[in-house]
Amino acid sequence: MEPIISIFNLGKYYGDKAVLKGVSLDVYPGQIIGYIGPNGAGKSTTVKILTGIIRDFTGEVTVGGKDLRTHAGDIKRMIGYVPELAEMYDLLTPTEYLDFVGKLYHMPDSLVKERSEKMLDSFSLLEHKHQRMDSFSKGMRQKVLIASGLLHNPSIVILDEPLSGLDANAVIMVKELMQVLKQEGKTIFYCSHMMDVVEKVSDRIVLIDRGDIIANGTIDELRNDTSDSLEQIFAKLTRSGNIAGKADAFASALSAKDTGHE
Amino acid sequence: MNKLLLALVMLPSLLWKRMGADIAQLRAILDVKLMLDDRKPLNVGRRQNEQKKPRKAMTLLGMFIFFIVGCVYLFPLMVFADNRIMGLWAFLTLFLFMLTFSLITDFANVLVDTKDKIILFSRPVNDKTIFLSRMLHIFIYLFRMVFPMSLAAWGFIAYSMGWLAALLYPLVILLLVFMALFFVNGTYLLLLKVVKPARFKEIINYLQIAFSVVLFSTYYLLPRVMENAALQQVSVNDYPWVRWFPTYWLASVFSWVGTVPSVPVDRWLSLLAVVFPVFCLYASVRWLAPNFTGLLSEADTDAPPQKVVKKGGAGRYKRLAELFNRSSEARAGFTIAWLQTARSRTFKMRVYPSFAYVPIYFLYMFFINTNKPMSEVWASLSERSGVYLALLYMTSFVMLQALGYVVYSEQYKAAWIYYASPTSYPGKIMAGAYKAMWVKFFLPLFASVSLFVLYVWGLPALLDVVLALVNVMVFTLLIMRFSYRQLPFSQLEQMNNKAGKGLMRMLLTFLSVGIMGVGHFMAVNFWWLKLLFLLLSSALLWLIWDSFTKTTWDNLEGVEEDM
Repeated sequence: MEPIISIFNLGKYYGDKAVLKGVSLDVYPGQIIGYIGPNGAGKSTTVKILTGIIRDFTGEVTVGGKDLRTHAGDIKRMIGYVPELAEMYDLLTPTEYLDFVGKLYHMPDSLVKERSEKMLDSFSLLEHKHQRMDSFSKGMRQKVLIASGLLHNPSIVILDEPLSGLDANAVIMVKELMQVLKQEGKTIFYCSHMMDVVEKVSDRIVLIDRGDIIANGTIDELRNDTSDSLEQIFAKLTRSGNIAGKADAFASALSAKDTGHE
Repeated sequence: MNKLLLALVMLPSLLWKRMGADIAQLRAILDVKLMLDDRKPLNVGRRQNEQKKPRKAMTLLGMFIFFIVGCVYLFPLMVFADNRIMGLWAFLTLFLFMLTFSLITDFANVLVDTKDKIILFSRPVNDKTIFLSRMLHIFIYLFRMVFPMSLAAWGFIAYSMGWLAALLYPLVILLLVFMALFFVNGTYLLLLKVVKPARFKEIINYLQIAFSVVLFSTYYLLPRVMENAALQQVSVNDYPWVRWFPTYWLASVFSWVGTVPSVPVDRWLSLLAVVFPVFCLYASVRWLAPNFTGLLSEADTDAPPQKVVKKGGAGRYKRLAELFNRSSEARAGFTIAWLQTARSRTFKMRVYPSFAYVPIYFLYMFFINTNKPMSEVWASLSERSGVYLALLYMTSFVMLQALGYVVYSEQYKAAWIYYASPTSYPGKIMAGAYKAMWVKFFLPLFASVSLFVLYVWGLPALLDVVLALVNVMVFTLLIMRFSYRQLPFSQLEQMNNKAGKGLMRMLLTFLSVGIMGVGHFMAVNFWWLKLLFLLLSSALLWLIWDSFTKTTWDNLEGVEEDM
């Protein structure tokens, strides 16, 4: 089978600082890839390159057999992206925002209307569809953001911490949704720090640290005949050392003599 | 430069402390604010290691322009060369108007900004400290404008009135700045106290419009009054009302060093010049600032959570978007610009007052010959074609103001959506936004002005109306193409790029009225020449529009939004 996303020797430098140091990765259609790594490991950078937001990189990226550098437009049409922080124009209503996004993807108005109604309904947002989003809670915004990412029916879905801020019911729904999308043959690129969720939903887990992929396999392969949880594997592989000791050290900073006040 | 200015505003820290501010906190807040101003936020897709140099050049250019503007303010000093007190009064009054104008248009929302609500309001920082930090923050930027602007007059005063006057001059200017700053913001605070928090921002908006109307009309009338006064060799005694102006008090400060004759009345008034700013400062910090943040938070949460956008009329912008745009991206740009500008308070605060200027200019035409009866003025109007040309070209200010602010948003990060969308020419989205501003703000104004012009001057003016329309579009597009080549709502407005912008646009408008208006005026009696101009302008319009809509992603990244 041909990989749907093929990343070869991907590098990204800010001046002398390397954020990605030659990442290579193949993703096959219909898979859920759990993309994990410590803060600052290069996860978001990878995602931003894939979505065409960052256009300046080294190495090769092909999506659906097309080169990202020369066919960015076609690739962007294939991808649906739900970014990590709920950044959106919240003076608009969900309906207006989805309409705006639909136009950016050249979708006919009637289709946008039909899809957004259904999506908002399943997120129980239908009664809020004509309300400005500046009064929305974080979870409500996140739901609109998820809807806007899936609106154009992309074949690849990139989710960056999609569960943040969602209430328990919505979390269940989104997890279910990922399975449904997978069954429809969509590829899901799932970035998260919630190890238990990643462990459960992912077909394959890719661990990135300091700009390099340090592990890539199914959860069983990563366990390597131990009974470790993904959290423990993560801690081992990312060399974060004695975490409990660090927490103690942190707390002891507070008990140090307070000389700041007069 | 900011470090120096920070040191300057912290000089009277004992005073700030006495007023109830926490000095360490005040300094920390200002320090961070200035630091943030100097750091350009990393916009979506912007390269991180972008050079800082162009920015410096821009700052220098800005200072140079302000210096030139300052030269214009020399005019009253020269006209009243024999009557120093009147000269100084007129000069300071012009200066005060400029400062107030800038405070109202450029810095309007700094005081009532609630962006740092979560960071500051949740910490043990008192209201006086927060209020003062905002005042001083504005002051620093005002100072950066005022300094180059006051240089020319400083030189002139040193040359013509002696070194004692020159020594006193910085103090007078400082008092003037304080007067404007605390008067305008004190008024805002007072309003915050007396009106319902939920309605506060709306009322501020109306107040701004009213403020601008008064300011602008005085601004137009003043030079004329001055000229007459100078011609007739008048003295203050002929116009006793002049003594009511705070700027007259400031002018009489110069009596301390004998620059202007020392009349007993004036000596008392000169004391007022010192007392009044201090009083404004004291009053606003002592009486108005307490509970400032509380009221502000309340004003911020005005939108009742269940605010539903009315369904009626919702189809209108969609139909217009369909009508005016061919591509889907342009429609997206049109839609978002239309909707956001209707709801963003910041945008409304900046753009709506600019509508006032055209009607004021219109009134000005009547007052230009104050000694004639109104009917005669009306009758003579139709003979003066320069008047309607200026009126037509004045409309470009509204367009410039709207276009200038359509790129800014506090949610500039939400612009990632453009970059993730399969749009190959972001220029199309920008073009959609341009059209939205054109249809929404420019067209109604221009249409009403044109109707009026056609009514008074008749059909022959039609060619002029069309030519002016094309020229204004060329002019505004040129500005967009070369200085605001950005996606709608994709930039963060910072103090650095805010300071003096409104004023600059006003000047640009005068420039456009000047250059194109005069060119047009010279051709006004030759229909074939106007036709030729029209052809040339239309060709130019087509070229610029084409290049604007074909803006690529690469074009966007290299552009600095400063002008």
